[in-house]
Amino acid sequence: MMPGLAFVAAAALLVFLLLLSARDENGDDLPATSMRNRNRLGAADALRPAELAFRIFSPKDREFIRLTRSTRLERLYREERRRVALHWVRRTSRELSTIMRHHRLNSRHSQNVNVAAEAKLFGQYMELRFLCAGLVFLIRLFGPHALADLASYAGELYERLGRSMPDATATNHVAASGGVVAR
Amino acid sequence: MQQPQTTSPRPGVLLLGESSMNDPAHFVTMRNAFEDLQRRTLSQIPCDFARLVYLASMREYNSATYHHEGLAARYGQEQVRDVLEACHRDIFCNLVSLPLEGLVTEIEAYVRASHEAPSGLIHAWQELEPYRVAVPMEADSTMVQLFLSNIRLALEVLRFRLEQSQAHQPASSPPPLPDR
Repeated sequence: MMPGLAFVAAAALLVFLLLLSARDENGDDLPATSMRNRNRLGAADALRPAELAFRIFSPKDREFIRLTRSTRLERLYREERRRVALHWVRRTSRELSTIMRHHRLNSRHSQNVNVAAEAKLFGQYMELRFLCAGLVFLIRLFGPHALADLASYAGELYERLGRSMPDATATNHVAASGGVVAR
Repeated sequence: MQQPQTTSPRPGVLLLGESSMNDPAHFVTMRNAFEDLQRRTLSQIPCDFARLVYLASMREYNSATYHHEGLAARYGQEQVRDVLEACHRDIFCNLVSLPLEGLVTEIEAYVRASHEAPSGLIHAWQELEPYRVAVPMEADSTMVQLFLSNIRLALEVLRFRLEQSQAHQPASSPPPLPDR
């Protein structure tokens, strides 16, 4: 049970940090071209990974579809976002492997390799690979908004548990901390 | 009715050019070509989505190189090709960064400007997916996936709205008489 919880928490943290980094720099709506990768003419060439993640997992889009109250649209939205989210995670994972491969090749020719720094880097690499695998698992199983959905479900369970408790103090305590429910 | 955001390439788009460092004359020509393209053509197009389609149509299918006879005659083939490509990528990037609602507004404006029957255009686009050719060459693969996915969703939203509006039309209005 505990490794499972740690796994979900780690995946949640990754997505949260990605979204936070996009939000911190850009606000709710992404800016024009100022923060983007640029080609040799200075035109926007691509969105940065955090911006892209923000767009893919955007709760705003989900809300927009939800407001249509069309089950057909909601189903299509989930399918489409799941596909794009999986593409993004797999690609990130592949790029990570490529970067590490290049780094390994470069390190072989290096005269002064710092073993501690290399070990730390490898640890971070493995952590990211693990998170990517976790995200793939979560997205496949629960959809692109898996973490928000899981948090919401946990909140509902928590509330239900509070209501079913005979002890009034515990019920009040749960009611008082109703902010847990993520909707 | 929402109006699409005006996010056509800004004059600053060309200011960071690497080529300008090496050859100021080359950069000045490109900037002039860019301003010309912006003033005479892109500003006359009602939304970014229509600009994207227009710029994609400037690209030859076989070689994927951009052509614009009028601009090339004034500024040179190579400079114009680079300007068209840069503008195409910039507008694509803007569209990918739009929230889904914004893209729906863009496509809605495009449908209105096309003067086609919305139901026919939406059906054709859902069947044939011609918007795939509007993607710039060598664009980031995740951006392409997100763009295509968002267009599929936007088309479905527009279809849904169309069906809703047809369902809410008053039943008392008589059907049009066939021509005799």
